Amino acid sequence: MTILGLMVAGALGAVLRYQVDHRIQRRARSEFPLGILAVNVSGALVLGVLVGSAAHHGVSPTWLTVAGTGFIGAYTTFSTLAFDTVRLIENGAWRASTLNVVVSLVLGVGAAAAGLALGSLT
Amino acid sequence: MAGAHSVDSAGHEPLVRVAAIAGGGALGTLARYGVSRALVPPALGFPWDTFLVNVAGSFVLGVIVVLVVERWPPTRYVRPFMAIGFCGGFTTFSTMVVQAAQLGQHHRMGPAAIYLSASLAAGLVAAAAGMGAARGRLLPGAGERAIPDPDDVGPLFGEPAPGPAVPPGKGHRTDRSDEDGTAS
Repeated sequence: MTILGLMVAGALGAVLRYQVDHRIQRRARSEFPLGILAVNVSGALVLGVLVGSAAHHGVSPTWLTVAGTGFIGAYTTFSTLAFDTVRLIENGAWRASTLNVVVSLVLGVGAAAAGLALGSLT
Repeated sequence: MAGAHSVDSAGHEPLVRVAAIAGGGALGTLARYGVSRALVPPALGFPWDTFLVNVAGSFVLGVIVVLVVERWPPTRYVRPFMAIGFCGGFTTFSTMVVQAAQLGQHHRMGPAAIYLSASLAAGLVAAAAGMGAARGRLLPGAGERAIPDPDDVGPLFGEPAPGPAVPPGKGHRTDRSDEDGTAS
């Protein structure tokens, strides 16, 4: 049952990532991967809240697996971040590639830490 | 109102694309869960499971995107299924940064920094290696982009340019010149 929920959540997370990325990237009109950045940072915040609230208030392990590992895990992605950065380097866009890595990490860890703190409060 | 002329191409194809992304995402998520169950890292230890998943997924994504975009004839569903769905769902950014933030909460800043920088460094190298592999080293007959031979320093002392007359075994670098007239 957990496995089925995990797979459904993973499917939904991947589709939501595509939708959010596509909508943001289409408006951005830039080669900077703003869509995946928004996906990853927002997912880091939500997973932080989930994990923080699970640690302090007790959440069922099944729910944490399905919502955290499944949905948010699939919503965010690491491989596209790595690929896009290499593609920017190949295109000679060193500034954009460095910016992509640094901003993703700083905002991502910041969002995760903020989420953990928020989750332990609420 | 937009449906009138978009039925043709946008009528059902996007739905199949969405299904391909969902199917790939479900399988990628299941595979990531399997790895994390097989390699349970110690609490507040180095998260090897997420590290390995992210690096392996970056390699596979590099291979897939280059094959789809540069090497294979146009495909409609390989990229949604394998790249956006499977690799996207297999790898994860949120778990990585939450793990790092948790290490930081427990005053393990050093391990957190090592985890993040090692993941990124290995992920970038893996993606580049996957792209390179798909461009020439992985499949036989890779013609589009010649891989420079590190031992080839070009003709010495005014040797004739390599042509049909070069000895067998030395002429492979010019294979692409026969039929790639359309390549720009």
